[in-house]
This record gives sequence, C-alpha cells and structure tokens, in this order.
Amino acid sequence: MSTPSNLRHTQTARPTSPHTPQQPSRSGNTSFASTTSPGSTFRNEDDAIIFELGARWLRAGFEGNGTPFCVVGFGPEESRRVGDYRGWIQGAAGNGPLPKPVNAEDWVRDYELWQPDLRKVDLGLLEDKIERLFRETYNQYLLTDAGSSRLVLTLPSLMPHPLLSSLLSTLFSRWRFPSITLLPSATMSATAAGLRSALVVDIGWAETTATGLYEYREITTKRSTRAMKSTQQELGRLLSRLASGEDHETEAKDDGISVGFAYCEEIITRFAWCKPRANDGEQRELELPAHTVLIPSPTNPAQDFVDVPFSRLAEPVETVLLATGTPESELDDEEKSIPQLVYNTLLALPPDARGTCMSRIVFVGGGARIPGLRQRILQEVSSLIERYGWSSIRGKAVERQRQRMEDLRISSQTNGQKPKPTSENGETPAKDEKTDPSQEVPEIDFVEQKLHRQNKDIPVPIQGVLREVESLGAWAGASLVTSLKLRGMVEIEREKFLQHGLAGATRDSEPSVPDRRSGLRAGDRSSWTLAGWA
Amino acid sequence: MSRPFPYTYISCPCADTPVLDPARKRRSRESPQKPPPERDTEANEGQDDAKQPANKDDEEDEEDEEQTFDPRSPRSNFSLYPPEQLLYCEDCHQIKCPRCITEEIVSWYCPNCLFETPSSMVRSDGGRCGRNCFNCPVCTAPLAVSTIENVTGNGNGQGPWVLSCGYCLWTTLDIGIKFDKPTNIRSQLQKMTDSTTGPAFDARSRQGSRAFGDLKSPLSNFASVDEQANPSERDAEQSTSKEDQTPTPHLGAEARFAALKNFYRTQISETSNSPSDSLGSEFGFSSPGALNRLMSLYASSSRLSGLYGGTKKPKSKPPVMREALTATEGLRIASGDADSALVERIASPDCGWDGVASLIQRTEQSPDVRFVDELLPLPVLLRTKRAKRCKSCKHILVKPETKPQSTRFRIRLIALSYIPLPTLRPLAQPSATSVSGLAPTPDLNALTPLRPYHVLLTLKNHMFDPVRITLATPSVTPGIVATKVTVLCPQFEIGANSDVWDEALQNATAPLSDRITGMRGGEKVPEAGKVWEKGRNWTTVVLEVVPGTLPGSQAEDGQEGDSDIAATFQKDEDVLEIPVFVHMEWDAEAQLEQQNVGKASKPDDLVARELAYWMVLGVGRIQASL
Repeated sequence: MSTPSNLRHTQTARPTSPHTPQQPSRSGNTSFASTTSPGSTFRNEDDAIIFELGARWLRAGFEGNGTPFCVVGFGPEESRRVGDYRGWIQGAAGNGPLPKPVNAEDWVRDYELWQPDLRKVDLGLLEDKIERLFRETYNQYLLTDAGSSRLVLTLPSLMPHPLLSSLLSTLFSRWRFPSITLLPSATMSATAAGLRSALVVDIGWAETTATGLYEYREITTKRSTRAMKSTQQELGRLLSRLASGEDHETEAKDDGISVGFAYCEEIITRFAWCKPRANDGEQRELELPAHTVLIPSPTNPAQDFVDVPFSRLAEPVETVLLATGTPESELDDEEKSIPQLVYNTLLALPPDARGTCMSRIVFVGGGARIPGLRQRILQEVSSLIERYGWSSIRGKAVERQRQRMEDLRISSQTNGQKPKPTSENGETPAKDEKTDPSQEVPEIDFVEQKLHRQNKDIPVPIQGVLREVESLGAWAGASLVTSLKLRGMVEIEREKFLQHGLAGATRDSEPSVPDRRSGLRAGDRSSWTLAGWA
Repeated sequence: MSRPFPYTYISCPCADTPVLDPARKRRSRESPQKPPPERDTEANEGQDDAKQPANKDDEEDEEDEEQTFDPRSPRSNFSLYPPEQLLYCEDCHQIKCPRCITEEIVSWYCPNCLFETPSSMVRSDGGRCGRNCFNCPVCTAPLAVSTIENVTGNGNGQGPWVLSCGYCLWTTLDIGIKFDKPTNIRSQLQKMTDSTTGPAFDARSRQGSRAFGDLKSPLSNFASVDEQANPSERDAEQSTSKEDQTPTPHLGAEARFAALKNFYRTQISETSNSPSDSLGSEFGFSSPGALNRLMSLYASSSRLSGLYGGTKKPKSKPPVMREALTATEGLRIASGDADSALVERIASPDCGWDGVASLIQRTEQSPDVRFVDELLPLPVLLRTKRAKRCKSCKHILVKPETKPQSTRFRIRLIALSYIPLPTLRPLAQPSATSVSGLAPTPDLNALTPLRPYHVLLTLKNHMFDPVRITLATPSVTPGIVATKVTVLCPQFEIGANSDVWDEALQNATAPLSDRITGMRGGEKVPEAGKVWEKGRNWTTVVLEVVPGTLPGSQAEDGQEGDSDIAATFQKDEDVLEIPVFVHMEWDAEAQLEQQNVGKASKPDDLVARELAYWMVLGVGRIQASL
C-alpha cells in the first residue's frame, strides 16, 4: 500500500533534487533513495544514529525521524547488578516512602547520570553507566549493531571537559564508531522550531540555561540553578511535610525528604502546574484553590489516596522556578529566577539580536512541559521590560532620576511635540523610546527605502514583540540537521581521538567556518576542533 | 541481595583495565580511574586529585595491584555477573562479560508472534512488530484482537474489531478506534491516527513518509517550474495565510518534522542555486546534478524575463535562507490558551490522577501525549538474536541459529565450561546438634553478628583437565560492617571432568570412608588446611565467617543516635558479601598453533595455563540486633 505511493513521490520529487548542491556533498555511501524519501522505506543502512544526552534522560533514534525511537531515563534500577531482579520483585524503588528522611542531594543522586559538580562524580562509574546505557539502548530499542554507523550526540554547549572526555573515550573505545559528531542542543532546538535566531530557554534538570542565538550562533548563555532538580526537591519536601501531617506553615528547614523519588517525579509530571500571573488572573485564583485533587498518599502510595488542594501543587514551581517571595536582591547571580534569567539574557544581547530573539523564545527541557509555566515566564518578562525597559541600572537613585526625566519629558511633550507614537509592537517599545534614542521615530532614509522597495517580496521578520515559538526539541533538530546532510562543526574522528584525546583538538574555537559545500573536501580535515565545547 | 541467599557472582577481569582515555594518559591522569576503596574518602579524593602531584598517581597505580575487590563499590555493580552469564574466549583465555564482547545482530523477530522481520523492514517499522502484536499503552500487557461483541459480552459476529487488554480491560474503544478487519492492524491504525492528528491536511502519517510526500509535491512542482518566481508566489501565500495564522493547524510531531524538513530542503536548494555561487568549478560537468543545474539556470533566466517583463533582478546577491514563517513550514506559535485549558483539564474532577498519563506511559508515546485518552496501542518491540564476538580477538563466542523459534546455538562458549562453578551452602550449626539429630541450617537472612558461621564453598570443574585452585580473601570484608573471613583450606585441587563412570568405579573401591563421614555430616568438624569434601570433579572447602556488627546496633547500646553513621548506612550495607580471589592453574593440551612452541619446552604437548579473577560470595544478611 505504501510502497507504490512512495514510488510515485520519488518520481515527482526527482526533478527538484538535482538542483540541490548537496547532492555532490553527500557522502558517497548514501543512496539516492534516502535523499528523496525521508520516509523510512528505503532507509540506508548507514543512517546516523542520534543521541541526546542529559543528566536524567537519553533520547535515541535514527536521523530523519521526527521522534526518537526511545526515551530512556536513569535511575537506581539501571545500575543494578546483572541478575538482580529486585526491581521486578518488589516494584521499582522510589515509589514507597523512605525509611528515614534523606538529604535532598542524596535523594536525587542515584537518579542522575552526572552532576554539574564534578568533584563528586566518580568518572569511572560514569563510564560504566554510559557503557551500559548505550549498549542496552542499542540492543533494546535501536536494534542495530552498535558502532557500525556514525554517531551524532546532542549535548549542551557547556559541558565539563572531563565529562566530555569520559563520554567520548568510552564510546570510542567500546565500539568502533567511525566518527562522532557533536551538535549543540540549543541550536538544534532552534532548528527544530524552524528558526535561525532564537532565545532558547532550556529548563533542564540541574540548571536552566537561556541561550541567545543569532543566525545559528550562540551569542550569550546565562544559566541559573533554578531548574527541575530543585523543583522536585521542593515538591519532595512539600510531600514529606504532607506525609508527616505537619502544616505547611511550619518553616521549611532542610529536614530531608521522606517520600520516594519516583513517586515525586510521577506527581510532578502529572500534576505540577503554574499559576498565571497574579494581577490578571486574580478571579481565577479565587476559584482554583477550591479544587482539590486526589493524589496517591505519600505514606502509602500503592493503596491510599489523599486530597490535596490543587493550588499547592503549583507551589514548588512558584517558589523555585519563579522565585516568588524572594526579593531579587536576595538572589545570587547563579540562582536568578527564570523570568529574570530570560530578561538578563535578552539584555546582554545586542539590540538587533535582542529584537529578533525576543519574538522567538523557545522553551525546551523537562520544565517546559509544566502547563502554564511558559506563559507565566513570558508575562513576568514583559512586566520586567515594562518596569525597567532595556537597562540594567537599578536602584533608588536611578528611579528618582528616571522620574525626573519623565516629568521633563511630559512637560516637553505638552509643549507641542507629537503624542507618543504607538507602534503596533505593543507595550514593549513604549518605554524603550525614552531611554533609547535609536527607537525614536526613524527619519526617512533613502537607502532604507530603496532596500525596502527591493525586498518587498521578502517578508518582514517579526521582531520586538515577546512571542513564543514551539520547538520539536533538540533531538528532532539534530535529526533534521543530520538528515539534511549538513556537516557539524565538531566531527571527531576515531583515529584522531584515540591518538590524543580531547587534547588533540585545535584550540582555535572559531576555525575557518566550513560552509555547506565543504563537505566536498571531507577527507582533508586534518585538524578537528571542539568549537563551542573547547 | 539480588538473588536468594546464598549466591555467587564473578567479576569480569575487564573491570581492571579501565577505559583508556588518551587525553588522560597524556596529562598523566587528572582524575582517579579506580574508585576509591571507601565511600567516605570519595569526596576527599575528588578534591585531592586536582592538586595531586604525579607521584601520588604512581603510588595509586601500585596500590591498584594490591587493591582488593570491593563488592560494595558502586562500580562493582557493572562488573559483577552471575557465573552463568559469562562467556569465555578460547583464544584470549579470558572470561568475557557483555562489556568485553561486540555483538552482531543475526535476526530480528517479534517476541509475541515469533515472526522474523527482515532487516530491511526493521527500521521502517520503527523497530516494532508490523503485524498485529500490540501492547496495552496503560499496563503494557499484550492486546488481543477481538470483536466489539466479545468485549461488550453479547453474541458473536463479524462486526468491527478492537484491540483489548485482558489485564486492565482497556480497549481501543476508549480512544475511539475500531478496525474494519482483524488483520494488518498496524497499517489500519496508522491510517487512522494520521487522519485524527491532522485535520488540516488530508494525509499525514505518524511515520512521516506519506505526509512528507504530500506536503512536498505541491512545493516541488513550484520549484521545478520556476525557481525564482517561487519565493514571491509563496510570499503571497504567506501574507494570506498570515491573517488566519491564529488558528494554527495542530500538526503532530512527525508531521511538523516533515514540514520543517521539507522547508529546510527547499530553502537550501533555493539559496544555493543562484548563479553567483561558484559551485561549477568544484565539480565537473560529468555529474548530472551540475548539468541539470546549468540547464535550469538558462531556463529559469529566460522564463524570469518573461515573467517580470524584462526587469531582470540583479542576481548578484544570493538569496538568504530565511526562517519558517507559516504553519505549513513547521512553525508553531505557542498559545497561552492551550496551557490554561490543560491546567483546567488536569484540575477538573473527571480527569483526576488516573486521567493523566504516567511517566512510564508517556515515555513510550509521542512527546505531545499528556492524558490517558491520548495513548495509542504500542506495537510490540522487536527482539534480536545476536552473535557475540570477543572484542579483542574478534573470535565468535556465541552464534545462535537464525530462526526465532529455535533456541539452539551453533557456537556457544560459556564461561562455566572453563571456570569452576562456585556454589555456596551453609553448614549446619554445630551448637544446635544437641537438640536433634539433624542440625538446623542457619537462617541466612538473619545472621547473628559476632557469631562464627561455617559456609561450604564447592567448586565444580567442567574442564577435562584437573585444576589447581588458590583462594584468597581479605581477612576483613571491606565496607562499614567488618566481617572476618577465613578460608580454612585456601589451596586445593579439583579433579578433571572425566567420564561419569570413573567416579562410580572409584567410589566403589577407594573412598568408602569418605562417604561414610559424608553421611554422618554433622559430626564432621571443619579443620584448617583440610579439604572438606572432594568428588570426581568438585571440591568443597570451608569458610569461617564471623559477621560484624552493624553500626546501627552499636548506636543502640552505646552513645545515642549517631546520625552520620545512619546517613551513610546504605540500603544493602547489612548484606554479607565476601570477595574471594580465585587463581586457577591447569595444564591444557596445546592447541595447533601453539604446538610448536609447546614442543620446545614441554615434550608432552601440555601448556600451563592460569586464570585469575574475583568472585563475590553472597552469604546472607546480618541481623541488626545482637
């Protein structure tokens, strides 16, 4: 049924494909069929395999697929001995309550592949875990011989070198991968949203990163430790308090968590949510606390259910990710709330890039799935912009100064200036105009006009408005890029890595940019680089 | 701990050869490759090694030789295997675990219907059964194809068919799916999910193949007709579609991916097709791509002039790749309403805990799924039969027969035919013998601390050569609970795995007294330096074990609640596991290629072989109280 239709499409597609200059640049072993039908029917054996690796989850699949074949999590079950079937006999660990409260850090340790603080990571153990993880993913899900085809890894662009080195040397020494390509996950997420410039906010496990991308280049990255790990720890504390029957008014000192990790994660995936911003959702807030939801009881999740006000399940998100209730001055640089992080990243971008990026905000990562959170972050960011404009100067004196300027301006406006230009961009530039002279009514520029006339056909990109674009995720982006036969900047060949390891990479972080056609000279890449990872 | 007590594990020697990191070798190793012996020192170790001078590293290397195997270290979980799961390479003369072999897939099959899937179909089916085998998305039990009448329970008929779960009673009716015929369910399902996920487009498949074709064809027609006119045409399209962009058609993940891919492909071809691109010099005219491009170049320019009435666009500037602008190109603008609707739905009483898909259910499904009624039946994951090779010498260790139904192997070199099989058994407690004639065996799940136990370790040889064994064990087990262990007879021999009749004949004549003592059992007293029992191809020795006290129990009688110890006291710390180092020596018959060498030294074609490995004996669980 599907085969004839595929053949037909191949024929209709054929006239276009010779136009693509990619044809010669494709590696010789890709068949013609694989380029015309991305559908899987004629897939070549040598399709690259794409892994997206994070601290908690792994996604794996073949290039050209829209969704990964499998999503594999890490937990204590994954690091049991072979032949240890307790997970099956007693039910997975981490569901029931713990015998005694555990420190929040120990609570999560078994469940993460690595931690950002490498002082506590046993790299040997990490290598063991990675080896088993990859082996089992290949054997269970990918169902192909490991090491026979190219491997593409999607990694966060800031990866500790010992980690990267462990990962690569494990993969290279265990299997015969001809080469491993590294792709930055932020850029891939933007690609999977169909964008070239974006602000990618990755609400990940250990940290939230906001990466400003402009034309596929990472310009700035800012990070915050307010991410899913601390959210889950917070929820764990909340549930522990529920379990012990204490009122939530009791001060949350770090008394450990006594509920299972898996149980907590289950609740966070099912019921965590985020309230809309207070001032415009007040009437909704009034009615929502009336709701209670049944969740499995923290003391006996297998049998009992308890009623929990639905609004309390929004608390961890509120206090951790949005840092509600903590004044901004209290926050350290590394633990800014996510709206603050987004704002600061935008602020750090050059104005052009900022305008482009702010209307292309992409949320990825586990936290992006919490309903309401993305909208809330955008609301908070826009209120920040309203309050401060694009200026990083804060403080009372500045405030007074601004007030004085405002007064001056108002008086001058009444003197006969034209009223405030209201642009269709909405509230965002309204404040900017005072501070930023470049945003005032543009004088008529002949060159601009001419350019504009010429480029009439080219649509004007949206910019200057806060807008969120949904992405298919870094894995899909990597799959997309790989299937288009674009070569990554960081392509590590087996022999070269085995000679020198990471130290063999050229230090030049910005090497001669291989444009798309450089695939032709595939063989003569004498030196390799780590590009952003260096 | 993992299996019922007592148990034995063997550590594959490959754990001693850590992953070679070329960079680390160069910089004289920056981080410790071996886990520090004790958990307590781990944190310090990490801090130390930054400032650790090179000589410390060397020291550590020397220590590595001496280091005893610690079954409690988190790394040991990855090197310990039940003896029956290990393989043996006859060329390297080494034990091989799943980490030191490479695997090649021989065949793919569905574990449910046992049909073999040809390799060309595996990936197109997503590594899942392409027939009628499905798992329940809710509870993962296999789904059965049945008629609606069967499910609802009245009569039988031809009627529409559904998939139903026999365990949790989920049926495809719950998600509103019925099948016209009971065969080829997978493709039927695919068609249905296509039409349900994308009402905006007529055809969109989860696999993306058909969707891509359908999306592509209109665009590719444009592209082939006229390259330059195309963008403007599409821009017009965009401007019209921009108005009605707000009700974005909700594309499924696969369809959106296909749309994006299609978009990027056309972008790449458009932007790099301008004549200013000096591509021509880079590949000869021999390639059809180049020729075609040249042809289209002339064609397009002539047609261009026709279209635009001579106002030829200056082509010096290559068109710039742009971003996706419409939903058909894969762009999706998030809307806040969707999220608040989600929140409302989750909070609503008719959804509840069971209405939201669990984490496990979600990981198996497409990434957009959030509620139980969005779950689709899961085609059964295929399994593979794999041949295994030694990683270092590439010799085949295991080769199964291709047919899924066959459980036979063409080649299978399991380690147990080369290394002695260790079995463990507690010896009846001598103190209890006074009560009854038969001594009770101690309860291994509750070993009393500070009380001596005798454990019988039997090693059974499966080789046709007699083996000399040397056992070694640390006198005190590593970890918090210090258990004293003594091997009463560390050196002994195991007979060859000769004909079974030999034993019968031998037993008839010589060791009658031995058998008698064996019968009497309880009266026999373990003696240092003496083998407990010996048979044709097996030997039993006694281990004396004095379990240590648990830190918790110390806190009880001594100073009150030492919380530090309690915190470090891990779940399985009370399990008594004894690391035992096994060194075996035997004289093997020289193999063909070694014969010449062997002849020079030994005239009788025998080669001395040795093998050494760590073994872990799980004796039991230590009681908390004294």
